[in-house]
This record gives sequence, C-alpha cells and structure tokens, in this order.
Amino acid sequence: MSPATSSSHIWTYRAIFLVLCCIIIIGRLLPLGLGESGLPGPDLLLALTFAWMLRQPAVVPLLSIVIVFLLADFLLQRPPGLWTALAVLASESLRRRRLQMTEFPFLVEWGAIAGAVAGMVLAERVILWLLMADLPSLGLSLTQGIVTIAIYPVVVAVSKYLFGLRKLGPADLEPL
Amino acid sequence: MARDSYDDAYARPVRRLLVAVAVICLLALVMLWRIDNPRVERMRAAIVDRVVPNMEWAMAPVTGVARIFDDFQSYARLFEQNQELRRELQQMRAWREAALQLEQENARLLDLNRVQLDPELTFVTGLVLADSGSPFRRSVLINVGARDGILDGWATMDGLGVVGRVSGVGERTSRVLLLTDSNSRIPVTIQPSGQQALLMGDNSQAPILDFIDAREDVNPGDRIITSGDGGLFPPGLLVGQVIATTDGRLRARLAADLVRLRFLRVMRSHPGTSLGDSGDLIGPPWPLPDETGTEDSPAQDSVLPEEARLGNSSAAQP
Repeated sequence: MSPATSSSHIWTYRAIFLVLCCIIIIGRLLPLGLGESGLPGPDLLLALTFAWMLRQPAVVPLLSIVIVFLLADFLLQRPPGLWTALAVLASESLRRRRLQMTEFPFLVEWGAIAGAVAGMVLAERVILWLLMADLPSLGLSLTQGIVTIAIYPVVVAVSKYLFGLRKLGPADLEPL
Repeated sequence: MARDSYDDAYARPVRRLLVAVAVICLLALVMLWRIDNPRVERMRAAIVDRVVPNMEWAMAPVTGVARIFDDFQSYARLFEQNQELRRELQQMRAWREAALQLEQENARLLDLNRVQLDPELTFVTGLVLADSGSPFRRSVLINVGARDGILDGWATMDGLGVVGRVSGVGERTSRVLLLTDSNSRIPVTIQPSGQQALLMGDNSQAPILDFIDAREDVNPGDRIITSGDGGLFPPGLLVGQVIATTDGRLRARLAADLVRLRFLRVMRSHPGTSLGDSGDLIGPPWPLPDETGTEDSPAQDSVLPEEARLGNSSAAQP
C-alpha cells in the first residue's frame, strides 16, 4: 500500500478538505465586500472540490460534498439543495471518467471541468426557470462560472504544491 | 482508494444507488423550498442563527485586520483627504449656523402648534455580523433577533439614512435586506415636489426610482424620504438624493453608507393606522331602537342646527 492510499492519509486529507471549505464559507460571509457590485467572485468551493476529487477521489467522499454544499446553500442565501444536487451529479460523473483523464495532459482535465461548471450553471438556470423562482441575472451567473473555470488551475497548483496532493494514477490503485 | 478497488460488480450499483438517493433527497428539498417557502426560510434562519454567532470568534479578527488594512490604504491619500476635509469643514460651519437658526425656529413653531413628536419611534441598535456572501444578493446579518423583539418588515437605518428592512428573524440574529437588493421595493416621497415613487433595488449601488407621476417635477438633488404608504415604513425617514444617469433614468444616491455598515438601527415601527371600513353616515344610530326614539331624535336634530345658527348670528352681531 502506497502512502497516498493509507487510511490515515485519507482521513487527514478529509479533515483538511472540510476545514478549507469552512474557511472559504466564512470568507464569503465576512462583511467586507458590501459595496462592491463588480465581478462576482469565483465559486472556490466548487473548484476545490473538483480539483481534490480528480487528484485523490477518496479524500472527497459523497458525504463531505453534501454537507459542505448544503451548508453553503443555507448560509449564502441560495435555493437550498439545488446547487448541492448539481455538484453531486457533476462530481460523480467526473469521478467515473477520472481514470481516463489521468493519462491525458492537464488541458483535457481543465476542459472537462469547464464543461461540468458550464453545465451546472445552465442546469441551475433551467431548473429555477421551471420552478418559476426568481433568477439571478444571466450575465452575473455566467461570469461567476467563467471566473470559477479561470481560477481552477490556481486551485490545482495550490493543492499540488502547498498541500502535496498528487494525482493518483491507475498504478496506485493496484496494490490494495 | 478503498471504495474504488472493491469488487466492481458489487460496489458500483450500491454507490450509484447512494448517489441517486442523495440527489433525489436534495431535489425534494428544493421542491419543498419552492412550495413551502416560509417554513424552509425559517429553517434557514435557524441554521444561520446556530452557525454564524459561533463563527464570530473567527470572523472578528479577520474583519478587524481587513478594516485596518482599508484604513491604512487611506493613509496614502492623507494629504488630499486633509485638504478635502478642510474645505468640507468650511462649508459645514456655514450649514451649522443655518441649522441652529432653523432648529430654534422649528422649536418655536412646534411650541406654537403644541405638536407631540411621535414617541413610539424608538430603535434597537445591532452590530453587522456577516453579509450575504453571494454576488446576487444584498443583505447583511445583524446580531439582534426575536430575543430583542425584532419583527419582520421593520426599517433599519445607519446614523443617517434608511439601509433596508428586516426580512427574516432568527432567535439571536436577523437579516436585513438592503435597499440595493434586487428584491427590495419601498414607497418613497420626493421632496420638495411631493411626488410619490417606488425605490427599486437592482443590485447596483444606486437603486432605480420608478412609477413617478410627473417626471418633470423631479430634479437631481431632490431629497427622497420614505412615504409610509402601505404601513411598511415609518414616514419621513431620509433615504437619499435623486440623481439622473446618462440613460435618462432617475436613481437614488443613498444617504446611508452601505460600504461601511457597522452598526444598524432597527426602527421599532408600530402598525400604521389603517382604514378598516368605508365611511358611515353621521347621525343617530341605525336602525333606531323604537318609535318614541324616532320622534325624539329628529326634533333634537332639527334643534341643533338652529342653535348653531343662532350662536353664529349672536357671535357675529357684536
């Protein structure tokens, strides 16, 4: 068993993931950007989840995703559950295609992430429109999606060099 | 990797089932939110109430540091700021003189009229805990709630002008929907022309003024105050000034400093007087109790105007 798949490693990184998510949510809640109405910030939570899940799927289990995103939905005044459901669906589909992506360069992974985020933004709009809930303006939600995609390589670099989260290939899965 | 390397034939379907159940539960939550909105929003308020005050120990230092950093940045422009402040001080001195005179005059006039100022308009002051955290919503969370007697719909002000209204009350916290939020609509009066209008937030710094009767009577720089229509807000609270944008719309520059919200006053408003019934006839109670009553009352009625007329004429004679 390689060190990256030992259970102590996995549990440590699960805890780190939850702590990071809490920090991101608190950061969003701080009453600092009250007056700003320019670019909406990136959805760091989503970028972090995808980046870590594609590196080492075991440290981002389904339960973590549900807890973190549901908490964010409730605290950030979004329709509760919708963004969480979309995040779960997107992360599951990425998780299934993960092994094919490990052999390709980073650009392919980035493309897949971009597709997933764009799909989530569109699906959210469609569902809210079907439910006749009030929609945020199209420009703002698209901008947020684009900014999230743009920040993704930074999140990947930080998780790789700061947190030492390397990509697990098929070879690492064999020993167990 | 334990999960991925289990026997695929067994683990895959179980996992897929788990995901499906989770997604269905979440979508059910969304439907519940859409169908029974007040209940879920109460749930949200309860969760916020539980979580956010506990975060305060983490948030306070970060907020403090960020504010210090903001202040530090302003040191860079110290000189020009100083000049600007001096100029403003000069103007303010003139204004202060004018205000003092007006205050004396106002006191004299109020004394002449024996006006009672509204004694019920008191306020509770709260501290801003958190903002909405979303680029699509403009709201803040304050640290007073149902415990302090806050009710939904009350107006909040900073020292100067209206900030928004309470929408969502938890036990220890309540949420204030700012005037700039795209869901905020409040009735206002534009002074001095007295035009009624609706102030509609649109997620920008300056909310739109719409539904104005006579646009030509409204000039940039006019004062906007709450009108108290609909009994939502106490009338006469300062909102801001009218500005005209390049596309010809009228907007409001808010008097409250929404960028630097720290303390908020929640105005305890009492329910406005409402007209419950249409007007009644003034006269004897109807239907009349019995026959004798009908004979008496017209006689009395006919006497009354007579007396009044006599009284008038007698008063007019000398």
